[in-house]
Amino acid sequence: MKVTQSAKEKTKIKILNSAVNLIIEKGFKHASMREMAKSAGVSNPTIYNYFPTKEKILYAYVEQKHKEAIAIIQNIDDFNTYTLREQLQTLVETELELYLEDREFIIQISDMVFHSSGLKIESLYGTNSLFIDMVEDMLEVAIEAKEIMEPPFKEYMPKLFWDYYITVVAYWVKDDSEMFENTTQYIDHSMGVIEALLASQVLNKASDLGMFLFKTHLLNSLEKFSIKKAGFDGVKRKLKGVFDAK
Amino acid sequence: MQSKIPVTKMARGGVVGKAMLKIGLSQSKGVVKRAFMSKEKKEASQKETHAEIAKVIIDSLGTLKGISVKIAQQVALGLPFLPKEYLDEISKSFNAIPPINKALIRKIIKQELGDYPENIFDTFESEAFGAASLGQVHLATKNGQKIAVKVQYPGISNSIASDLGVLKFALSRFAKGQNIDHLMKEVEDRLYEEVDYFIEAKNSEHFYKNLRQENIIIPKVIEEFSTKTVISTTFLEGKSFQEFLASNPTQEQRDHYAQLIFDSFFIGLYHLQMIHADPNPGNFIFMAEEKLGLIDFGCVKRLDDDFLSSFSKLHVSLMDKLPDEEIAVLYAELLMIDEGEIDEMVSFYREVIKPLDRIYIEIFEEDSYDFKENSNFSERGFNTIMEVQKKQINSVHKMNEEYIFVDRTLLGYYAMFEQMDAKIDTRFAKKLVRY
Repeated sequence: MKVTQSAKEKTKIKILNSAVNLIIEKGFKHASMREMAKSAGVSNPTIYNYFPTKEKILYAYVEQKHKEAIAIIQNIDDFNTYTLREQLQTLVETELELYLEDREFIIQISDMVFHSSGLKIESLYGTNSLFIDMVEDMLEVAIEAKEIMEPPFKEYMPKLFWDYYITVVAYWVKDDSEMFENTTQYIDHSMGVIEALLASQVLNKASDLGMFLFKTHLLNSLEKFSIKKAGFDGVKRKLKGVFDAK
Repeated sequence: MQSKIPVTKMARGGVVGKAMLKIGLSQSKGVVKRAFMSKEKKEASQKETHAEIAKVIIDSLGTLKGISVKIAQQVALGLPFLPKEYLDEISKSFNAIPPINKALIRKIIKQELGDYPENIFDTFESEAFGAASLGQVHLATKNGQKIAVKVQYPGISNSIASDLGVLKFALSRFAKGQNIDHLMKEVEDRLYEEVDYFIEAKNSEHFYKNLRQENIIIPKVIEEFSTKTVISTTFLEGKSFQEFLASNPTQEQRDHYAQLIFDSFFIGLYHLQMIHADPNPGNFIFMAEEKLGLIDFGCVKRLDDDFLSSFSKLHVSLMDKLPDEEIAVLYAELLMIDEGEIDEMVSFYREVIKPLDRIYIEIFEEDSYDFKENSNFSERGFNTIMEVQKKQINSVHKMNEEYIFVDRTLLGYYAMFEQMDAKIDTRFAKKLVRY
């Protein structure tokens, strides 16, 4: 039997939803693939066909939420009138909003990542490509529209922003204020810092300074180090000189 | 990962502590400097210190977000013994509320109304068209109707208690040992009322249903799109006070709108027993076809029958120029004078209270009053109240705050009429006072 792409997608989402509910109810460890299949109304082989392991369900969930968030954002008529900061903040807020109904589930993932080390944070990196593409787009547009100067290490910025986003989620998971007001304010304020940093060229200046130090002192010393063995002391001395002079 | 969230009471406590420390420094600086100065210089230096302290307080409140604006307005109304520099600094902070950006506005709408703006309204302008005291106002449309959606900055309600802590500490220095607890309580009550948009919706409905006055338009609350922190009403198209003045209105127009404002105050007072508690020009929309819109019922003051009847009796007696003995008794009913021997009451009345009489009677003496010819009336009035309150505070007598409140609110409107160069007809109001 030929299964169409959209039918496949539907089944996938159905399994995801049942799995999330089951994990919320029983915990990740005790929720079995068999039960998930049953509550989603699919056969055992089918679920393995979609998700070879239980971890894969977590990753698929995160990816799915990125997809939904982006769909919501693409639906905003005047999104092009948003500032870069507003666009980035909207992305973060929209994702969190989607997490809201599955908060218990997110808390479990967060525990696995930060406490029990049941899940390596690196493994979540595989799920963030949609998010990162979106941030990349926003940055490109802002640079092109001359809203900000091109920041140094531009290609790393979206990944860095994803790391920031993870800290927001971690904060939200621990937030016990009414309606998670503290998270809202935390995002608003920290986005203010990010906005100021991107607008101020502090990053460019810092990178200039870093490059200067690296080229004139560190690189120089490293060359010496590779020529004569005693050079290592020289590296240390030189670096020390740089920092003492500051 | 810490389980405690940093941005809570602890962090606020930090801000509070810093503000207190700074005030202490700023004041002692003034004292040290003043010890070696001539009288004029002393006064100038004192002013400087006041302004500095005011700035410190405002700064610390500023960190705590939008609420400071409302506190400032309330303080200005309720604590007249504050140095003028302080009030100036406070009014500067009026525009200092952090804006709610486009990302945040979406989130609040989703959180409060259940979905994103584009899914709720036919159109929604993500750019605010107006600033409200604790948030901002956005224009939306639904089924062809224009809607004003007022949105509150998140977290305001939770910061009231700590904000007032700072304020109370700071103000107690100015109050020179006087007990300001009752005033702070009043401010606190007003604030909690004002951050709760349900209460505003209720007040608004009350005005909408009961204020019967020709040419006055009150927007209708749209319950479907209203919650504790979001309130939606039908949108009133028209000019703001400033826009109206700038549009070079004719004398007839000036008089007409001033008359509407003046009469609606007395109708509110006597028929609804409720008045706008801040005489803010922003509460009025100058609409087409001679109509006036009344908006923003977040901060209203309710007045009971007892108060109204003593208030009326006093004013009627003043208008009818009854003897001082009778007036003194009426002031005693309003708790402005302690009950006692009639001679003592009369002399206290003559000495302390009497200047207040003018504030009322001057307006009502004739059938009309021309603010063009008396353009400093409100200033004289405010100074008089301040003088009387100072004397009252120095003596053992308590103030009737409601009485002062109504007076001050009226003076706020008179200040508007002065700017409008308007002439008002006082006959209708007088009829209400004599009801």
